[in-house]
Amino acid sequence: MYSIAIHGGAGAVPADFLAPDKRAQYEASLASVLDESFAMLERGASSLDAVTAAVRALEDDPLFNAGHGAALTREGWAELDAAVMDGRDQRAGAVASVRHVKNPVELARRVMEKSRHVLLVSVGAEEFALEEGISLVPNVYFRTDERRHQLASEQQGQRVSDLMPTGAPIGTQGTVGAVALDKHGNLAAATSTGGMTNKRQGRVGDSPIIGAGTYAKNGVCAISATGHGELFIRAVAAYHIAASVEFRGMSLAEAVRELIHVRIPQLRGSGGIIAVGARGEIVMDFNTEGMFRGARDSAGFREVGVLRGRR
Amino acid sequence: MPTANALGRASLVVVAAACAAFAFTASYAADSKTVAIVIHGGAGVINRSDMTAEREAGYRAGLEQARDAGYAVLEAGGSSLDAVTTAVRILEDNPLFNAGKGAVLNRNGVAELDSSIMDGKTLRAGAVAGVQHVKNPIELARAVMEKSQHVMLAGTGAEEFALEQGLTMVPNGYFRTEARMKQLERAQQQEKEKAAASRTSSTGTVGAVALDRNGNLAAATSTGGMTNKRPGRIGDSPIIGAGTYANNASCAVSATGDGEFFIRSVVAHDICALVQYKRVTLEAAAREVIHEKVGGLQATGGVIALDPEGHIVMDFNSNGMFRAARDSTGRRDVAIYGKP
Repeated sequence: MYSIAIHGGAGAVPADFLAPDKRAQYEASLASVLDESFAMLERGASSLDAVTAAVRALEDDPLFNAGHGAALTREGWAELDAAVMDGRDQRAGAVASVRHVKNPVELARRVMEKSRHVLLVSVGAEEFALEEGISLVPNVYFRTDERRHQLASEQQGQRVSDLMPTGAPIGTQGTVGAVALDKHGNLAAATSTGGMTNKRQGRVGDSPIIGAGTYAKNGVCAISATGHGELFIRAVAAYHIAASVEFRGMSLAEAVRELIHVRIPQLRGSGGIIAVGARGEIVMDFNTEGMFRGARDSAGFREVGVLRGRR
Repeated sequence: MPTANALGRASLVVVAAACAAFAFTASYAADSKTVAIVIHGGAGVINRSDMTAEREAGYRAGLEQARDAGYAVLEAGGSSLDAVTTAVRILEDNPLFNAGKGAVLNRNGVAELDSSIMDGKTLRAGAVAGVQHVKNPIELARAVMEKSQHVMLAGTGAEEFALEQGLTMVPNGYFRTEARMKQLERAQQQEKEKAAASRTSSTGTVGAVALDRNGNLAAATSTGGMTNKRPGRIGDSPIIGAGTYANNASCAVSATGDGEFFIRSVVAHDICALVQYKRVTLEAAAREVIHEKVGGLQATGGVIALDPEGHIVMDFNSNGMFRAARDSTGRRDVAIYGKP
């Protein structure tokens, strides 16, 4: 058994989003990332390589809030966070607040594999990127017109995006992520984001925080989260799911459900989770109107979806 | 731990005297719930040979001062949040400990500070990472929790927020001490001589956990990180769930040690999850995580922890941890070496 799940963020789904051509565009993008990363697993690639490749592709796609097309800070900068975790030995790498690294997930992977650290931020992270021969891009590479408009509307609105206002563009919470189980029984997780629109400079959300937005442990589960990052940090969301499976004997679906429908709402938050369990079981759950998502396993299951629907 | 017991007995006399002087406070404390504070000033390889009697006395005095200031907040009916903030601020100001003034230096000779705080009642949290000019990072972490819509701010963005909040800013040289500059020089020399840099030069993170009269737990941690670290490196101290966690439903934890391993093990939350979901004692949970899980990764460090009943745990897998505790049952200890 091997399987992979990907997400492109969870949140409110604005009415005009339902336009069939736009929806088809998102679904086509998710489907192609899903199928390409699944094909890697099929060829025997590691889950670590599959989740890195999936997240890199989502970073490159301007539709999603990570890499090219990331959400912008108050001052109009793209500041990117990413993490990756290897379920075999809980090795992990993460970067936060980088402004010039084209694929933050690759830098996170480099932090894991080539440094003695787990988390590097900002200028220090970019210094490391240069030492590793990763080419940098100007910050404008990440900024799209769509994100500039979103920032402008956030800044003109009555409230900033600390909690997701109903009807706001889904992009305000569009993190991307992937979790996978490979043929060798190894789990891995990766997450990447531009964070929340109109965030403060230097704000770090849950995505690069091991145990909050990203976690993987063989024999237990691999998790990637998306949503109101501050609350996912406070809930130690990803590790809480793993602890519920390990210590409370809950199924992965129950553990995710409790986190997303009880604990996060208790903190007045919203968002979603994708998870893969030790036997390849896939769980995708969210308490928002929609979550961009896709999943596929070696037993023939395949799903690409946006809105809440049959599963 | 005979010395600590002896110290505890000796200090009981002092407490009794103090209580007599403040009869009102004493009687109030006596018929209300337990209050307690535990602090640490880092765990790691503490070489007795490097430690003069004078130096050791300095550490002990620093620990006692922070502990007692935090305890005074609790005794006066203050919140655990205020108690841990007070204790950590004092440890930050003390140049002996690796936080605030006297923080270790990164490989460019710059102090980069990380800190976090968590409220066990509401699960609110605040954290800052990689700040270079904020005199008391714990106060900034607290401001992030209370005055921003975020939980974690890093680098210049965190400092921008500090300025907006009117916090005291200092030049980076304020943090730098002669001892830390020598330590950096030694670490870089060692690095040149052999590829593997010593992982154990990073002792001295500070932290506090407290239980107040209303039964609320809080935790706080502050650090300069590891000597000779890469600029931008973030350890476990500002990571909620790794270096700091508090939840009235389980426990409050502040950790110190090899930060990378503590992040990967989600140490602080793991201890609380074991307490809450596996129904093991706080002591057993801390032991499992520090000695089996973290120890199993060949990493060293320790934790201080408190549960809602006021059980105190100070556990570590290194040869020492600067630590001190005090509670309303009269317990009052301070220790450096020895078995936990």
